[in-house]
Amino acid sequence: MTPFLHDLLAYAPQMLTGLKNTVLLMAVISVTGFIGGIAVFYLTLGSGKACRKWTERYISFFIGTPLLVHLFLMYYGLPELGLRVSPFWVSVVGFTLNVSAYNARYLMTAYNGLDPMELEAAGAQGFTAPEVFRFVILPQALRLSVPALTNQVIQNLKDTSVAFLIQYGDFFSQIQEIASTNFEFFKAYLTAGLVYLALVSVIVAAARVLERRIALPGFSAT
Amino acid sequence: MKMALIEVKNLVKRFDDKTVLKGVNVELDQGQVKVIMGASGCGKSTLLRCLNLLVQPTSGQVIFKGEDVTRPGVDVRRLRQQIGFVFQHFALYRHLTVQDNVTLGLTKLRKMTARQAEEKAFHELERVGMFEHRHKYPAQLSGGQKQRAAIVRALAMDPAVLFLDEPTSSLDPEMSREVVTVINRLYLDNVTMFCVTHDAFLAKYISDSVVFMDEGRVLEEDIAERLFYDHPNPRIREFFLGVIDLK
Repeated sequence: MTPFLHDLLAYAPQMLTGLKNTVLLMAVISVTGFIGGIAVFYLTLGSGKACRKWTERYISFFIGTPLLVHLFLMYYGLPELGLRVSPFWVSVVGFTLNVSAYNARYLMTAYNGLDPMELEAAGAQGFTAPEVFRFVILPQALRLSVPALTNQVIQNLKDTSVAFLIQYGDFFSQIQEIASTNFEFFKAYLTAGLVYLALVSVIVAAARVLERRIALPGFSAT
Repeated sequence: MKMALIEVKNLVKRFDDKTVLKGVNVELDQGQVKVIMGASGCGKSTLLRCLNLLVQPTSGQVIFKGEDVTRPGVDVRRLRQQIGFVFQHFALYRHLTVQDNVTLGLTKLRKMTARQAEEKAFHELERVGMFEHRHKYPAQLSGGQKQRAAIVRALAMDPAVLFLDEPTSSLDPEMSREVVTVINRLYLDNVTMFCVTHDAFLAKYISDSVVFMDEGRVLEEDIAERLFYDHPNPRIREFFLGVIDLK
């Protein structure tokens, strides 16, 4: 057995804990970011001019600034104001704000491709604006956004690796620890890359299944 | 005194500096079918959209079942549920099957149970020969089938009146005949309709009278035969010059 493999086995429990933390964070922010994205998307379609303006600013701010800045701002900045939050919750809040902005943008892009006549028809039938959103806009925008939304989940997984910079014990932080112990950086990071690739492959396979299951005639989701 | 189902009084609609409707007066009685004709841009479709408030009129009145629906605070949702609207380009919800297109309004607006909505949908789909296509999505239908499905979606809500906005304009002659047949059947069933069309064939076979609009005004209202052939008004004569002899 090579010394590196020996080290990997020795650190296996630690790595598994890190892997569990990575998957947990990815799952939580994918769900909260999905819900947040729908909420922001809804607000961007609102009838109030001020509401639309502020949601647009929100999206521009979070897409236009690095995620790491938000995480550092909350983890290292907030304690100066007397507010100390755990790395996990800082990650959840920071990622959610960021991912919601991206998801809202994907849904807006899909919305721009919808047939305005369908929306007018729903209004003519007597549906209110929130009902048109719920029964006509959202089901279609979500279908059309599936590739973008699932890519975002992949992005979420990869981005969780920056959470170790605010002391979150994710998979990458454990790899860092192994590498700094045995100084076999190449092998350690290669292992990390292969593990992330395996996880991404699972998400891609799930995304393809989802795309097939929701595919409708005349409805191109790819 | 008999009250009109819809009474339009001096209706004006301006878009910025363009006045599309310049004081339209027209009435529609229960059980009556009126066809609105006129050149493109004369305000026909805008008139229909003003009647169910998809477009807010600038001034004038729309009296629906004796109630002025242009006054502030009117229940637009309730008004629209009483008016079926069929669009030129069908506007079916493309993520739903034909059956679900029909039942959506019944379950969400009419608050029917899924079972009741399904029975109602089956009945209406059979009425226009679309029952066998009920599980298809709009993308799987021909133009004529799409329009028939759109008519069913509107009819299933049991509206007081059906608005048809150029229902055959985007169809080839064969599909157009298919839709005309369905609309003609509704006419014979005494369904109250307001229909905007360029299709003289449709107008002749479904109308009690034809309203001719020109530049935002009602120029004439008469039965189709009198309007189509040798009308004394030169503008109307000119417009119908190209109409094939349908006698």
